[in-house]
Amino acid sequence: MSTEGDLLHTVTADTISDGRRRLGKVMVWSSALLVAVLAFWQMAFETGRVGSGFDTWRPVLYAYVLWAFALCAAQVIVNGEKGKRTLFVLPAALFVISLVVFPLLFALYISFTDWNLASPAGPQPNGWDNMREMWKDGFYWNALKNMVYYVLAVSAEYVIAFGLALLLNAQIRARKFFRVVFLLPLMLSPVAVSWMIGKSMLEVRFGPISRVIRELGGEPSFFGSPEIARFMIMAMDAWTFIPFMMIMLLAGLQALPKEVLEASKVDGASGWQSFKEVIFPLMLPVSVTAIVIRVIFKLKLADIIINVTSGGPGGATDSVTSFIFREYRDRSNVGYGTLLAMVYLVLIIIFVTLLLKLVSRWMERPA
Amino acid sequence: MKVELYNYIRAAQKMNRRQVLKGSAALGAAAMMPKTSLADGHGNIRAEILKIPGVGAGSPTDSDWQKVGEMCLGATKENVSEGEFAGVELTFMGLNNQNLHNFLFRGFLKPWEAYTGAKINWIDLAQADYNARLQQSIATGTVDFDIIEMGAPFEGDVLGKGLASEMPDWVKEQIDMDDYVDYLKAPVGTWDGKTYRVSIDGDCHTFAYRKDYFGADGIGGAEVPTTWQEINQVSKDLVGKEDPLTGLPAHGYLDPLKGWGGFGFYFLENRASAYAKHPNSPAWLFEPETMKPMVNNPAWVQAIQDVMDLIEAGAYPTDQINADPGTTAFQQFLAGTGSMLMWWGDVGSSARTSDTSVVGDVVGFGVNPASDRVYNAQSGAWEDTRNEAPNMAYIGWGVYVMATVEGDEKKKKAAWSAAAHLGGKDLSLWASAYPSGFQPYRNSHFQFEEWEEAGYDRAYVEDYLGSNADSYNHPNAAIEPRIPGIFQYYSVAEDELAKGYAGQYGSAQETADAIAAAWEKITDQIGRDNQITVYKASLGL
Repeated sequence: MSTEGDLLHTVTADTISDGRRRLGKVMVWSSALLVAVLAFWQMAFETGRVGSGFDTWRPVLYAYVLWAFALCAAQVIVNGEKGKRTLFVLPAALFVISLVVFPLLFALYISFTDWNLASPAGPQPNGWDNMREMWKDGFYWNALKNMVYYVLAVSAEYVIAFGLALLLNAQIRARKFFRVVFLLPLMLSPVAVSWMIGKSMLEVRFGPISRVIRELGGEPSFFGSPEIARFMIMAMDAWTFIPFMMIMLLAGLQALPKEVLEASKVDGASGWQSFKEVIFPLMLPVSVTAIVIRVIFKLKLADIIINVTSGGPGGATDSVTSFIFREYRDRSNVGYGTLLAMVYLVLIIIFVTLLLKLVSRWMERPA
Repeated sequence: MKVELYNYIRAAQKMNRRQVLKGSAALGAAAMMPKTSLADGHGNIRAEILKIPGVGAGSPTDSDWQKVGEMCLGATKENVSEGEFAGVELTFMGLNNQNLHNFLFRGFLKPWEAYTGAKINWIDLAQADYNARLQQSIATGTVDFDIIEMGAPFEGDVLGKGLASEMPDWVKEQIDMDDYVDYLKAPVGTWDGKTYRVSIDGDCHTFAYRKDYFGADGIGGAEVPTTWQEINQVSKDLVGKEDPLTGLPAHGYLDPLKGWGGFGFYFLENRASAYAKHPNSPAWLFEPETMKPMVNNPAWVQAIQDVMDLIEAGAYPTDQINADPGTTAFQQFLAGTGSMLMWWGDVGSSARTSDTSVVGDVVGFGVNPASDRVYNAQSGAWEDTRNEAPNMAYIGWGVYVMATVEGDEKKKKAAWSAAAHLGGKDLSLWASAYPSGFQPYRNSHFQFEEWEEAGYDRAYVEDYLGSNADSYNHPNAAIEPRIPGIFQYYSVAEDELAKGYAGQYGSAQETADAIAAAWEKITDQIGRDNQITVYKASLGL
């Protein structure tokens, strides 16, 4: 038995022969080679470079599964007891790679093809054509512009959510009741919200809100002009998700150290001073988390738009996701739709990374 | 028959107890007869099946569907011997809308399965999932069904790619295809001269109007408008007047100005067909030799301009820019807003049965309005002749057998026998008279005396179904092209129209040019040469 190395986590230290090590490596590399050969062969067959091949890619998948098994088994064969520890994580890691990395690579490939489901030719690589198409696509840029408005609306949502959180944190009557009531919108599906509010309450002729406006002598119109339609979409989305920010902020408020608040009171701080100088700065980390998560939710905004306005009038309420939905579902334009989604993904990653970077720099600043 | 239509007829015709008892007594007498006597006369079967379960006796159930299926097996028995398909398994893909479609097919085919020995497995799809499922099956080469219930607009995607099995001659005889209304005859259901479709439904848009707007004291004028020019004028003249029923502002024709997943484009087509569908050519959306869009020719531009003029004149209800066809039909017209509309059969049938409808007593029907002039795309000039071209929007459902059965004669015959059973002449009469999701589509369905004998109100049947029959058999019916990706063209057109109606393009011509440019892109993406071939085949050229 070896007396060196990691003794704490090792039940037994195996003596592993060179032959056994070689066997493990051969298993991994030969199965990997099999995957590579089958994949290249099938690709050559699909592109017409070789005459024979499989009907589907399934044999390549089977070879991949075989390689995955070989890789797991080789851990034990090559490393003995230490390899068994790796086995706790490796299958899960391979599973994630299979379900995330492969589809992502496939999507990347699809996004550089002209794949339209109605096309008899199937997916054909078309280089940067989709990218050029996107560059000229007024609908996509219009949707991106709308996303800027939608994301900016998060700041107003934050203010309202903070206000509500402060109210619910205060010693008010029926506090628990209000906490539940304020959470209700979050429990509703945005699809239900779009039907209940967008298509029923705001219905121009029968909707109760329309009736009230008419009774007051006005002429209701909620989706007739671009600005009002966009505002109504923002309002419905805000109504659904403000409770989410509110509950996060409320949790933050309740976790604030009581001593600091009491100290500020003892020092004679007014309510506003106490909020400005103590509560708000202490709540910054929670606020940033709530805002970032809300922004990520907002970037996926689609369901309300699809149900209520279909992006109209004239694209004024279109979001990137609702536009991609039309491009993909109504027009079966898989290649271009996927490219738009991939570009949007990259934009989101850049945006969120920059946002976090800026926020962390700002928060590290001495008070 | 659409469910709403059935309910409407029942509500409209004041069925009394005696009539119900008469139907029940006849059914009881028929049940006591020996089986052979049921089948001894063709006319008898038609009369007998119409009594199952009997008009006014509630909605039919699975046992009724099975009874009808059993009684209509005669035609199958002439071509198939008992137990001939033992061991054959078929997969049927269809819809489950409103618990109809596949649910009925199951009942109809149960006696067929018992007689032939074949077994059917079912794939039920919601309407919204249908297109995606079908397109993915085609695109990924995973057609896992032998028989499919499919709308004619998808024929380009399926028949154009050689994925279906050609109809054998014995099936044509069994289902009596000569009985189809004119527009469902070739080229619909055919591809390159070969027949593929067993029709089980018919579709068209018909004109619905408010009778109380028109007449001697009507605010809309003495006569009901019959041309788009008149409709536009009436719509403008109604601005500022009061609706006689609701007391709210009066409105004329209701155009949906918002998209509806591609289906909204049918409603611009309603206007455009009268201008653009010249009797000298079946083509009115694309030029057959080049697939060059015709959507930006003067006829289509006129249709778009009409809508823009009405927007400008303030002739539409508030927020019309956010009204899709569902809104114009169910939240506006049926609820008393607006006086004229084009739609499928649902509007006529919901007029009295829907709780939210207030127009049941004042609604009338007609065919798609005409135009005072028509654009001749071949000469490139307007002609001052009246032109009528009813829009056969969606063309209706059919049953198709897939090419997966080729190479196995027994399986192929079994699949076609099942399809022929569902599209049988007698069985289809029952389906058109009771809730099934399907409308009448054979000339024999319009023998109103059969409906009358079965207990229906003659006046209603003649008024409402008559407008359908007139549209179906119209010599200049506008049939949509059955080319791959047709709904892609419609969908992108909706996006461009939305921009045009919102004033983001300078003119109707600019809007139409944007649609044409988008259509050219789709054609190039799907493959122009193939689209030209398929388009010409779909037009029967």
